[in-house]
Amino acid sequence: MKRKILVNVVGVLLAFLLGAVVMLVQGYNPLETYYRLFEYSLAPGKIAYTLSKSVPLVLTGMSASVAFASGPINLGQPGQLLMGALLATIGGLYIDLPPLLMIPFLLILAMLGGALWSGVAALLKYWFNMSEFITTLMLNMIADFFTYWAINYPFFEKNANHPQTPFIAKSGWMPEWGNFNSSVIVMVLAFAVIWFIVNRSTAGYEWRLSGQNSLFSRLGGVNISKNYLVVMLLTGALAGLAGGLVVMAGPHRFIKDIGGNYAWDGVMIAMVANSGIILTLVFGFFFSVLQTGSLGMELITAVPKELIQVLQAVIVLIVVAGRGYFETFFAKLEARRKMRERIA
Amino acid sequence: MLASTASPEYIAQERIYPVADIIEMDRIVKIFPPSLVALDAVSVKFSKGEIHAIVGENGAGKSTLMKILYGMQPADSGEMLYNGKKVKFADPGEAILAGIGMVHQEIMLIPQYTVWENVVLGYEPVKFGGRLDVKKARELVKQKIDEFGFNLNPDAKVEDISVAARQKVEILKLLFRNVSVLIMDEPTSVLTPQEIPQLFGELKRLRDNGHTILFISHHLEEVLELSDRITVLRKGKKVGTIKTAEATKAGLAQMMVGREVIFDSIRKNQTAGEVLFETSALNYTDPDKRPRLIDVNIQVRAGEIVGVAGVEGNGQLELVNLIMGLIEPTGGSIKAVGEDITRKPILEKRKRVAFVPQDRANMGASIAANIAENVIMTHHRLDKRFTRWAGRILDFKQAYSFTDEIRKKFDVQMSSGEAVFKSLSGGNQQKVILGRELLLEAPFILLDQPTRGLDVGSIEYVHQRIIEMRAQKRGILMISADLEELFRLTDRIVVMHKGRVVADLVTEKTNVTEVGYLMLEGAAYEA
Repeated sequence: MKRKILVNVVGVLLAFLLGAVVMLVQGYNPLETYYRLFEYSLAPGKIAYTLSKSVPLVLTGMSASVAFASGPINLGQPGQLLMGALLATIGGLYIDLPPLLMIPFLLILAMLGGALWSGVAALLKYWFNMSEFITTLMLNMIADFFTYWAINYPFFEKNANHPQTPFIAKSGWMPEWGNFNSSVIVMVLAFAVIWFIVNRSTAGYEWRLSGQNSLFSRLGGVNISKNYLVVMLLTGALAGLAGGLVVMAGPHRFIKDIGGNYAWDGVMIAMVANSGIILTLVFGFFFSVLQTGSLGMELITAVPKELIQVLQAVIVLIVVAGRGYFETFFAKLEARRKMRERIA
Repeated sequence: MLASTASPEYIAQERIYPVADIIEMDRIVKIFPPSLVALDAVSVKFSKGEIHAIVGENGAGKSTLMKILYGMQPADSGEMLYNGKKVKFADPGEAILAGIGMVHQEIMLIPQYTVWENVVLGYEPVKFGGRLDVKKARELVKQKIDEFGFNLNPDAKVEDISVAARQKVEILKLLFRNVSVLIMDEPTSVLTPQEIPQLFGELKRLRDNGHTILFISHHLEEVLELSDRITVLRKGKKVGTIKTAEATKAGLAQMMVGREVIFDSIRKNQTAGEVLFETSALNYTDPDKRPRLIDVNIQVRAGEIVGVAGVEGNGQLELVNLIMGLIEPTGGSIKAVGEDITRKPILEKRKRVAFVPQDRANMGASIAANIAENVIMTHHRLDKRFTRWAGRILDFKQAYSFTDEIRKKFDVQMSSGEAVFKSLSGGNQQKVILGRELLLEAPFILLDQPTRGLDVGSIEYVHQRIIEMRAQKRGILMISADLEELFRLTDRIVVMHKGRVVADLVTEKTNVTEVGYLMLEGAAYEA
């Protein structure tokens, strides 16, 4: 456990060191840059904003983590997020309920949208034995163009000079207190539920064990195909939820490129977190710190915010590669100690 | 037992020592990170022109020692003298050039090539311009075959010849490279009892030709029959080197395990009860339309151990997969405890069938999960005490106390239920799996090579548990490649050959020779 934390911390520190070298080469002052980065994202007035920005990262990250840990390689978070966002938007355009009902209603619609999209991949596997690794990636493209069409034609806001829908009903806007958006509460709830399912429920136990060794689980009486379907639907719903919240907490409408890079960042977060639920939350927040901070960094120090993307990628590489390397490193240390004992 | 199959020419002759040492290994240490001491300052000398057996339990360091000699692994410390000169081989290629070759357990030949093509591969005689001199190559190989009296056709394709013949090709390959020291890593593990004397005869002829043969084995009869001297390793340390003429089986076993081991049948007389398990005309044809199982009928009664003997690949794997439901039969049915389970979901089968697979890491456990998580598999669906909320939530407290129960009942060496399964030794992994399956309390138990890869101590322990299950009136079907094990435990033995059950024998009324012959030929031999 201690070693696990060490690997992650050392990985992040090494990545920052490498980032500093890049900045020095380019003639920037790395210390000031990093100071501005964290000041902008972690200062008392800013942290609530950073938290709100972490919501789609953590939710899509958990979607990828749960899928990877259970076996299915669901890489369809970008498409599932868009479909969730679209369904929530449509609901918000045509239906108006009191906020207490409206918000859960739209969130459920968003989850349905995501689950529908991952469900298509699951059915393709069930009927034609097509790998979800391929189909989810393909469905991302389809979702991308389908939602683009939807906001250009049937749900296009008249007279707008940009592909977008009108605003959803006010009752479906996530309440905001200062910089703190209530979507964070939804994220924390989702985290608690997912953690409990994965670590405490019978189903979660079966998912994890099947993810590690599907043949053993099958021989043990686990219904592999049923679990596959449930995991695909659940992880699709999580990505869809992220999409719904992006609309309801942010622009309150579906505008072009609303999905941004959230879902791919989420997949990356799942990889750094080694598909662990708690680590996904930690790295999700940390990536949000970097991304929000990059704006301030660019404003004050003239270091381009693209540098943060480099930093993110380096963190992923070092932590993932380091995880394997540290194991061998510690093992070798231990062996050398034994060797010395023997000679002495 | 094998001694009975040997013809007079194989009776060990007294040989004269000391002869010049060809290899001297001095205080070799090998540590596998993090802390597995595979070899702990092992010193051993091999003489020119002897068959030197290296015996020990699994994990004693036999193979590691030989791999270091052969240049496959570097030693962490220690020295090696070869023909009086200090040597260190960086890779097997260097060792072969120097005259030391190794025949591995898995045979590595190109199936589509002929015998002579395989032998010359990488060492081909060439004509002008670097073209292969086919005539000369074939002639050279033929010469070698005649020189050593191998019964081989140089033009046969390797895919068409028997495993025993392939092994000869491997040996021939090394002789073709003028190797004078041959290391054989458990060469008999792929052979049937009938093929073994022939191999031994050839090895002895090579020795009499001046070759040195280092023979790794954990079969004591073989070692006693073949070798001139024996070095025993235990847990990475050398216990001693003795002359075979002065060794006994019991003495060697004691050196190997550090205590006395009993070898006789351990069954008590007991009458079998009702039929617990039955396959009727079971047929399976694989996706390539090859029949793998043909009309297999096997019955197991309560309080009875039935063994399945057969050379690997004669339908045992398919039988296991059919019983467990990994594949579906093309015909016939499987009944367990009075119910047809042929096409039932696996969980339904598991209510009646406990299963110990041969492949621990892939079928028997999730090595990345912790021990408690491995222990509750299947139980978590069949036993209500492991779940709450109508089976939806796992009760981990119960899982850990169940792990503790298995630790005590099955004598497992482990730190805690939270440790990863991977951290257990092979013997302890098997005990955990055995514990999980036997405590399912299914009336029928399917054991697929339950002692494969275990050391003598663990094997003894597993055998005791199996006998206990028999006394509890459970029905046991045990597939094993180890005839000694089958004769020790079973009441009946069915022999499989090319997908058919060719014999159903009462263990007390048969013998190793008969079963071995049936395994090989598929028909009873003419006495």
